Amino acid sequence: MTSAVDRRPTAAPSPVPPPASPVRTPPRRLKDRLAGAGFLAPAVLLVAALLLTPFAVTVYRSFFGDGRVSSFTWFTNYGLFLSDPVLAKSIENTLMWVVGTVALPLVLGLGIAVMTNQSGWSRVARLLVVLPYAISGSAVAVVWNFILTTDGAANQALQALGLGSFAQGWLLEWPGNTLVMIVANTWQSTGVAVILFLVGLQTIPPETLEAASLDGADGLRKFWYVVMPQLRTVSVIVVGSSLVNGLKSFDLIWVLTQGGPGRNSETLAVSMYQETFLALRPGAGAAVAVVLTVIVLLASWLYLRRQLTPKGA
Amino acid sequence: MRSTGGTTEQSPHPIRRRTVLAGLGAGAAAALAGGCARGDSTASIPGTTSLANDNATWDAGYVAAGRELKKLTGYALRPLSNPNPTAYTQVTQISLQTTKATDLIKWQSGYNLKQLARTGSLSDLTGLWDAYERKGWVTRSLRDAMSYRGAVYGMPLYQSYYVLFYNTELFDKHGLRAPETWEELLHNAEVLKKSGVTPFVATQSGNWPAYEWFEELVSKVDPVFYADLIAGRARYTDPQAHKAMQIWQDFMKKGWMTPADFDQNNGPAALKTGKVGMFLHGSWQSQGLAAAGMKPGEGFDAFVLPPVDSSTKRSVITEAGVLAVPEKAVSHDAAMANAGNWLNPSVQRVWTDFLQDGSANPQAVTSNPVLARLRKRALREHWTELPRYGQSGPPNLMQGNTDDLGAFMTQAMSSEATLRSMASRASKEWAAWNKDES
Repeated sequence: MTSAVDRRPTAAPSPVPPPASPVRTPPRRLKDRLAGAGFLAPAVLLVAALLLTPFAVTVYRSFFGDGRVSSFTWFTNYGLFLSDPVLAKSIENTLMWVVGTVALPLVLGLGIAVMTNQSGWSRVARLLVVLPYAISGSAVAVVWNFILTTDGAANQALQALGLGSFAQGWLLEWPGNTLVMIVANTWQSTGVAVILFLVGLQTIPPETLEAASLDGADGLRKFWYVVMPQLRTVSVIVVGSSLVNGLKSFDLIWVLTQGGPGRNSETLAVSMYQETFLALRPGAGAAVAVVLTVIVLLASWLYLRRQLTPKGA
Repeated sequence: MRSTGGTTEQSPHPIRRRTVLAGLGAGAAAALAGGCARGDSTASIPGTTSLANDNATWDAGYVAAGRELKKLTGYALRPLSNPNPTAYTQVTQISLQTTKATDLIKWQSGYNLKQLARTGSLSDLTGLWDAYERKGWVTRSLRDAMSYRGAVYGMPLYQSYYVLFYNTELFDKHGLRAPETWEELLHNAEVLKKSGVTPFVATQSGNWPAYEWFEELVSKVDPVFYADLIAGRARYTDPQAHKAMQIWQDFMKKGWMTPADFDQNNGPAALKTGKVGMFLHGSWQSQGLAAAGMKPGEGFDAFVLPPVDSSTKRSVITEAGVLAVPEKAVSHDAAMANAGNWLNPSVQRVWTDFLQDGSANPQAVTSNPVLARLRKRALREHWTELPRYGQSGPPNLMQGNTDDLGAFMTQAMSSEATLRSMASRASKEWAAWNKDES
C-alpha cells in the first residue's frame, strides 16, 4: 500500500533489473516448461471453456439476425441502440445506476465509517448499517417490494402520518422508480463500503495523526489533508467495485419491476435478458451483452489504470 | 512448514503427493464427466411416459390422470417439473434437439406452439385430432390455436374461460347480482366504489396480466373486430380499439381499478376480505380461491363480462394449454398413445376434478359448479370463443404490445400513443413473421 508518507522518493530503484546470473537461473528445461504448462492448464482451460468461448460465441451471434433463418447482418443488431427507444432509455437508466451506485455508497460509506470508527454504541450502529450486506440481492428486493408497492408500507406510513398526498406508485413512474431502486441498492451496498473504509481508517498510522495535531491541523483539515490521502487505495476499490456493480445491476430491478412498466426501468443487463429470453431475439440480446461487456471492461480499465499505476511508472 | 528454498532437496514422499494430486485430478475429472453426462430423468421407464411441465403444483393431477390413461393405453404419466416458466421454455427448446427429449411437453397454444412446430421438432397429431373430432371430444374452434400450416401439433391440455370472480357474500351485502348487461356492471362498480371497495383487479405486475383488460374490453366492444385484430386483419388504431381504451381509461380515472402494481397472488385474499369486488382472471384461479377458503358457488361465483352494447354477440376469451409430442421423444409410440387418449372423458374427469377448471372436451363433466354453469350456458347460447391475446400473434408482437399496455396502465403513455405504438409494432412484426413463413 502506498501512502502519503512512504511515497517520498528514496533511493530510486534502477529501471533496468540487474542481469541475471547464468549460474543461478539455468535455462528452463522442456520438462519444467511442460510441468508449468500442466499446472496452468486447469485454470486456463476452465477460463477458456467457461468465459472466453461463450464470449466469443456471443460476439459471433451478435452479427446474425433473429429471423427464422438467421443470416449475417453485420452491425444491424448494434444499430438497435440508435433506433430502439427502449435500448436508449436502458442506457440512460444504466448511467443513472452507475452515478447512484458509485456516489452514494462512497459518500455514505465514508461518512458512516468515520463516525463509527470508535468503540461503544457506534459499533452497534455500524453493525446495523453493515447487516443488509449479508442479505442476498433478491431477498432485499422482496423486502423493498413490501415497502414500495402502492399498497405497501411506505404509502401506509405516509397516510398514517397525515402525509397521504405524498403517497404514490413508487415503482410505476419513471424516473422515480429507477431512483427508489437505487436507494434500495444503496441501503444494501453501503455496508461493504463501510467495512472497507473502516479497514482503511484502522491502518492509518496514529503517528501521522499525532503529527498533524502537533502541527495545529484541526478536525476537518486533518481529515482532508491527512486521513483522506491515506484512504486513497480503499476509495479506489470502493469506486471500482461500485462502478462494475452499477453497470451490471439486475436482480433488484428484476424482482421489483421486471424492467417495467413498459420497459421504462430497464438497465442494459435487464435489456440483455429481455431481448434474449423474453422477446426471443438472441442476436439483439447478444449485441446488448457485448456492448455491456465492453463498457464494463473499458470503464474498469480506464479507472483502474489511472488509479492503481504507481506514480512515475 | 518445510522450506522451499533448497532447489536440490528431494521430497521425502514424492509419490504420496503425486498420488494425492493424481487422485484429486481423477476425482475432479470423474465429477466433471458425471456432470456432463446426460441425465436419466427422461430415460424410458416401462409403463410410463414422461411429461415436462412448468407447474409443479399440478404434478398430483398429472399422476391421477396418468392412472386413468394407463387403463386405456398401458402408460401412466411421469411429470418432470421445472417451476420457472422462463427457464422451462429454454430447457425444453434445447432438449427437443437432443435424442433424449421428454415424451410429452406442456406448451402454450397459438403462436408459441406455431413457433416451436416450425422448427420441425414436434410430431404431427392431425390423425389423432381428427379422431377426436369424429367422437365430438373436441371443438373445431380450438384447432387453429393448435395448428401450423394446416397440421395439428398439440392437444388441448385444459380450456379455461376468462371470468370475473366475485365474493357472493360481498355482493349480497350490497344487494348486487352478477351483471347481465353493461349497465348493471357499471352499477355494481359504482355501488362497490361508494362502499370503499375497489371494484376491479387490474395490474401489470408480472407483465402478462397487462393485456387481460385489453382483450376483455376489445372483445366485449366487438368480438369480430377482436378476431380480426389478432389475425392482423384489423388495425389497433381503428375506432373499436379506441372505444375499448376509453372505457379502460374511464375505469382507471374513477378509481375502479387496483393500482397497476397490485400482486395478483393477493387477489384471492383481497376478494375474500372484501377489499376488491371483482377479479378478472383465468378460470384456473378457482383453485387459488378454494385455497383461500372460498367454496365455488357458495363463497365465490363468477360471470363473463357482458358486451358493452346489448346487441353485440356474447363472447368469452378462452385459454388452452397444450400437450405436444416431441419428434425425438424417447418413448414416442407411448407418447402418441397417451396424446390420443388424453381427451377421453374418463381421463378428463379426473384431471378437471383436480384442476377445478374446464376441459377442452365438451362432453367431459366439469366438477366445479361455477364453471360448469358458465360452460353450459356458453354452449347453449353459442357464445363466440376467442383465444387469449398473449398467444394470438407472433411472440415478439405480443410481448412488445403487452409492455405498451403496462405503460398505459401507469399513465406513462396515453391511449392514443399506446395504440399507435401497438399498430406500428403489429405491421413490423407481422411482416417479419410472414417473411419467415415465405
